[in-house]
Amino acid sequence: MAGQEGQLSTGMKIAFAIGSLIVAGTYFTFLDWFAMNIQGLDYFYLFRK
Amino acid sequence: MATLTKQARKKIWAFVALGVFTGFLLLPLFLSLPAGASGEAPAPAASTAPPAAQPADAKPVEKSRDVWFKTEGPVVGAPAPKTTDGPRDYPRYNFESRVLLWVANQQHLYYGSFVLAVPIFCMIIEYIGIITKDKALARKYDQLAYDFVKISLTAYSLTAILGGILLFTYLTLYPTFFGYLSSIFRPVMHTYALLFVAESGTLYVYYYGWDKMREGFLKWVHVSMSVILNVIGTVLMMLANSWIAFMQSPAGVDDQGRYLGNIWHVIHTTLWNPINIHRLIGNMAFGGGVVAAYAAYRFLTAKTDEERAHYDWMGYVAMFIGVCFLIPLPFAGYWLMREVYAYRQQMGITLMGGLLAWLFIIQAVMIGALFLTTNYYLWQGMERMRGAERYQKYIKYMVFVLITCFIVWLTPHTMVMSPAELKAMGGQQHPVLGNYGVMSAKNGAINTIITTTVLSFIMYQRANKIPTVKWAPLGNAFLIGLFTMAYVNIIWLAIYGYYIPANVRVGLSVPQVATTLSCLFIGVALNSIMLKGAKDTGPIVWGQISVRSQYALIMLATSFTWMMGLMGYIRSSVRLFWHVNEIMRDNSPWAFTHTIGFAANMISFNVLFFWLTILFVFWLGSLGVKKAPVPAPIGQKVPVPASSH
Repeated sequence: MAGQEGQLSTGMKIAFAIGSLIVAGTYFTFLDWFAMNIQGLDYFYLFRK
Repeated sequence: MATLTKQARKKIWAFVALGVFTGFLLLPLFLSLPAGASGEAPAPAASTAPPAAQPADAKPVEKSRDVWFKTEGPVVGAPAPKTTDGPRDYPRYNFESRVLLWVANQQHLYYGSFVLAVPIFCMIIEYIGIITKDKALARKYDQLAYDFVKISLTAYSLTAILGGILLFTYLTLYPTFFGYLSSIFRPVMHTYALLFVAESGTLYVYYYGWDKMREGFLKWVHVSMSVILNVIGTVLMMLANSWIAFMQSPAGVDDQGRYLGNIWHVIHTTLWNPINIHRLIGNMAFGGGVVAAYAAYRFLTAKTDEERAHYDWMGYVAMFIGVCFLIPLPFAGYWLMREVYAYRQQMGITLMGGLLAWLFIIQAVMIGALFLTTNYYLWQGMERMRGAERYQKYIKYMVFVLITCFIVWLTPHTMVMSPAELKAMGGQQHPVLGNYGVMSAKNGAINTIITTTVLSFIMYQRANKIPTVKWAPLGNAFLIGLFTMAYVNIIWLAIYGYYIPANVRVGLSVPQVATTLSCLFIGVALNSIMLKGAKDTGPIVWGQISVRSQYALIMLATSFTWMMGLMGYIRSSVRLFWHVNEIMRDNSPWAFTHTIGFAANMISFNVLFFWLTILFVFWLGSLGVKKAPVPAPIGQKVPVPASSH
């Protein structure tokens, strides 16, 4: 992922990093819930108990 | 005008040839359609006819229930024979017949897999050659496809010979069992034989017509023939799979093994499709491995830089195809195992928690070794590119992750111990390491390994490139976010599995797999888009790679071969003392499960035998008329698979 970093300010880099982590985290949480749901299972089983 | 007429005539002949060809190929299917396995008129007609129309002395049609589909059907076959140990049912030499059959079966399977997989590669590569606009590159692809099919041609003859040996071994050593199987699968076996003839014909025309059908429309006819060839090959494989699937999870017969007149039920047993998918993917991975090993062999024996460059490239392409199919292979295997559990839970337990469980530990070692080797080859391959140095510093961390996961992946659940050792350890499971011997940990480990392999590939893709698209910083940030969160999610799901009941935990494998596949599809696609029009930091210098990388390719191929032998043995021996599970008992003196050591030795023997014979095939291939590899000038456009950079 090298090559373009030098063109960005540190603030922008941090913003991009946090933003991408939030997007990916949201996507994977949804994926976990969906993949369990289609099997008829409860992804949040532990938290509901 | 005369030339035009000649061309038009050629086109007409090509169409006619293709039509006749297709007709011949479909002929066996038409022939098999009206005939049931009994070879008589469909029996249900007798039961639906009004009683008055039947002769007075006509016996009522006996009906029985299908053991799997639970449907009723007319009994049209004899019960499964009850064999006894003796020369009538089990004639023999002074040797274990099962071992002879094992060798014949395994060798036929190795060659069969190889000759089914390689034409699929040819089809893909020839097609890429046709659509490639760069003429020199197109010729290189065409040459590569030709090289592939040349290797498979000699192997094809050996496959047929080994098939004959296998058939005679069955007929002479297990006549009663084979008689029963062929009485049920009669139309399938006929169709199989006819399709085999069709495949041979297609393959020979495909190979020998290569030069004649090199340009224009005829080239499209040629590539269409490869499609037909692969359709026949896949159907052949599926028909052969129906026999082994029937032996493991019979259907279409009643509890006495009497055929009930529905050939589709007999073919389409519950394990048929999982085995089809698993074998198809496995064959592709195996075929890629063998071709890569061939390329490595030619690389190591090459005399010129041009030859070395050509075979380095060939090895890379074959490895790439092999690994593309290696990645989904564990998921297909997982599906097969799930279906085995669904069919008979006891069978699943015998496989993964009982008698054969230790063989799965060996399998884990092999899978781990395959992924480690693949990563190693990719890292070595980065040596070919200037600019790849900036990624070298990450490799040590990836090695750490891979090795850690590998150790977790191969940790056994329980150990074979003496009573004193058992007492000293405080139970069957080690208080610390025992936690890593469960599926939660192993699922996390293998998904992390695969995700890391995808990351290695992405690094390889961009080793000599710098993205120039405007949104590159955002794309890079998203890639980092995607992989970071994927690792977090996989490990989180692995840990979560320890705190929830088994019936919920088993479902966590699906989101874990989905996470890994997300990295594969989203990560590779995004990276490829980012690299459009990227700035080159230097060319890929084919042929300038360490010798170690070529040994890695040979290691990959050997691991594939060993693992195929192992998994085939596991799948077959799970039937225990049954020829056909719960229908026809094996009463030979060899109806027992071999020790792990004996099985491992047999698998190693089969692997050695295969590699010795395939080396002979490689040597034979090199004796033929040699087509000089198309020169690959240093610094030319990189000929890599379409999905790559």
